[in-house]
Amino acid sequence: MPMEPKLSHYINAASTLDTSNLEKKIRIGILGSFTLNGLEEILQVKCAEKKISASIFVSGYNQYNQDILNDKSNLYDFSPDITFLILDTRSILGNFFYTVYSLSVDQRKELIEKKSEEIINLLQIFTKKSKSKLVVTNLSIPTYSPYGICETKAEFGLVEMVINLNSKLVNYAKDNPSVYVYDFNGFVTRFGESNIFDFRQFFFGDIKINLEFLPTFAEDLMGYVKAMMGINKKCIVLDLDNTLWGGIVGEDGFNGIKLGPTAPGNAYVEFQRSILALNQRGIILAINSKNNEDEALEVLRNHPHMILREENFASIRINWNDKVSNMKEIAEELNIGLDSMAFFDDDPVNREYMTLNLPEVLTVNLPSDPALYASTLYYISDFNVLKITDEDIKRKDMYLQEKKRKDFEKDATNLEDFIKQLDVKLKIKKADQFTIPRISQLTLKTNQFNLTTKRYQEEEIRQFSQDGNMLVGCAQVEDKFGDNGITGVFIVKKENTKEWMIDTFLLSCRVMGREIEKGILSHIINKASENKIERLKAQFVPTKKNKPVENFLPDCGFHKEGDYWVYPINSSFKVPDYLGISVE
Amino acid sequence: MSKRLYDLIGKVMNVPVSQINDNSGPESIESWTSFNGYVLLYELEHEFNVKFTMEEAIDVKTISDIKRHLQNHGVVFND
Repeated sequence: MPMEPKLSHYINAASTLDTSNLEKKIRIGILGSFTLNGLEEILQVKCAEKKISASIFVSGYNQYNQDILNDKSNLYDFSPDITFLILDTRSILGNFFYTVYSLSVDQRKELIEKKSEEIINLLQIFTKKSKSKLVVTNLSIPTYSPYGICETKAEFGLVEMVINLNSKLVNYAKDNPSVYVYDFNGFVTRFGESNIFDFRQFFFGDIKINLEFLPTFAEDLMGYVKAMMGINKKCIVLDLDNTLWGGIVGEDGFNGIKLGPTAPGNAYVEFQRSILALNQRGIILAINSKNNEDEALEVLRNHPHMILREENFASIRINWNDKVSNMKEIAEELNIGLDSMAFFDDDPVNREYMTLNLPEVLTVNLPSDPALYASTLYYISDFNVLKITDEDIKRKDMYLQEKKRKDFEKDATNLEDFIKQLDVKLKIKKADQFTIPRISQLTLKTNQFNLTTKRYQEEEIRQFSQDGNMLVGCAQVEDKFGDNGITGVFIVKKENTKEWMIDTFLLSCRVMGREIEKGILSHIINKASENKIERLKAQFVPTKKNKPVENFLPDCGFHKEGDYWVYPINSSFKVPDYLGISVE
Repeated sequence: MSKRLYDLIGKVMNVPVSQINDNSGPESIESWTSFNGYVLLYELEHEFNVKFTMEEAIDVKTISDIKRHLQNHGVVFND
């Protein structure tokens, strides 16, 4: 576990925190069944470290029932964006935590039925009354039982009861997109019940998460905050020598590097396996290494114990250039922001250099012992997303297709020919249960080709899609190299019988530069025309990152009227004829 | 050793060390709430590598009480 600063550090830092210049804002609600003092300060400081200004509401001690049930509670007044409901086994089971075997098997089953219904009822009421995401903790499974070694023989015993309640929570959350279950039991398992639960702190002040571990707990909760704010990392950039394998290939040679089934080589294998698993889930990989390219590639291609192979990397920079320049090139090649990248390098000097020059890159403080590499990776909460979509899973293939596309582009004589030969097919799709999670995800994380950079959670997109005065859709893009998935989104407000307003228009960086935006816009214009609309309005809200979309509106024939760009529907709009457009 | 203790108390209670003396405690330091008292105890345990009993923890009214308990756990204050 990386060293977390002590709780007093956060409490003091929070007292002098100036968040007035931070653009990103979040409102966090904290409800709990025990003392959670200190959590507010830690979350405030951790958010500020991520350039987020956090307003935090902490419910009174054990007041979560009242706050959720009462329509007029301060919680609803506060209107949180995300709410953490932190529960513990002792509070939920009450005296039965100690005397559970005074009940018959049927009574134990009834008790769990009743307790899980009570909690789920609260979740239902909260989600009806609030737009906030709700993260509820599961219950920590007790390790002590009065039945001792017979606990596992007991029918519906204490352990089984808690597991049963936990699975009821998980099943509920699976069907409710705004509800998440935080695996508090997993947290306790990771660090040990005797570490997390300190009897003295419990007796003093009903503190059920040892103050020493409160910052670590908060870091886990930050995983939700970062995912919600769309500031998660999308790409892992790796050094090679002493990072993916032990030793230096240029000196120790192909056969001399440490990588294989025995220590210390197996620590690197473990690290590579963990990275591969993230890659399979949608995290892009890249290499930034000072090495002779031939020697390093030989290892990537032919070493019998390499887990990560050349084809796992969407971008490779193995050279003697400066690592910061390499990093910028990788970001450019992959068309993602430097702030979406995490960098792993064993050399503290390289890390310092990266941090100084590119502070927006998450430079991971890799410990000097490779045995700790994998666990360091597990602790990072920056790779979380609120939903793992089909696009995430396909992403690694998509970047490989993109590599082939780039090679193809090099051979094409001009851009138009290139796009023609790509055989681009654009499918316009409605917002429905299959596409809404991805639409929301794209609004949360698309920065470059995004006219207004409005961020929308799934629930908001769902509401828009049911609103007759809104037009919400997305675009799936395919070409001869494969399926890029849903990579474009539009949200239009039907303001009145004459005017429609483009609220959101965005394109994933993955498909920029292929005139797809014109295909999507033509669909909106056609729809407007069918509805006898006269004018389509739009806005360009400049940010630090959306320069690629700056000239899109004038290039498409919009003219400026005050703060808006306006397109008269009766004018003819030319769609590139090589785009195959279909509407579902 | 007193300096190390005072520095830690100053940090946890967020007060200048110059305002702390052996008679300081929840009565004289406004930020010494019961919760900050718990924070102080666990940070003291880390700093001096000791474990207080519950009786000792409850008994703390001033910094001299903390010193006495630390001494019982083998921490030496020469100053």
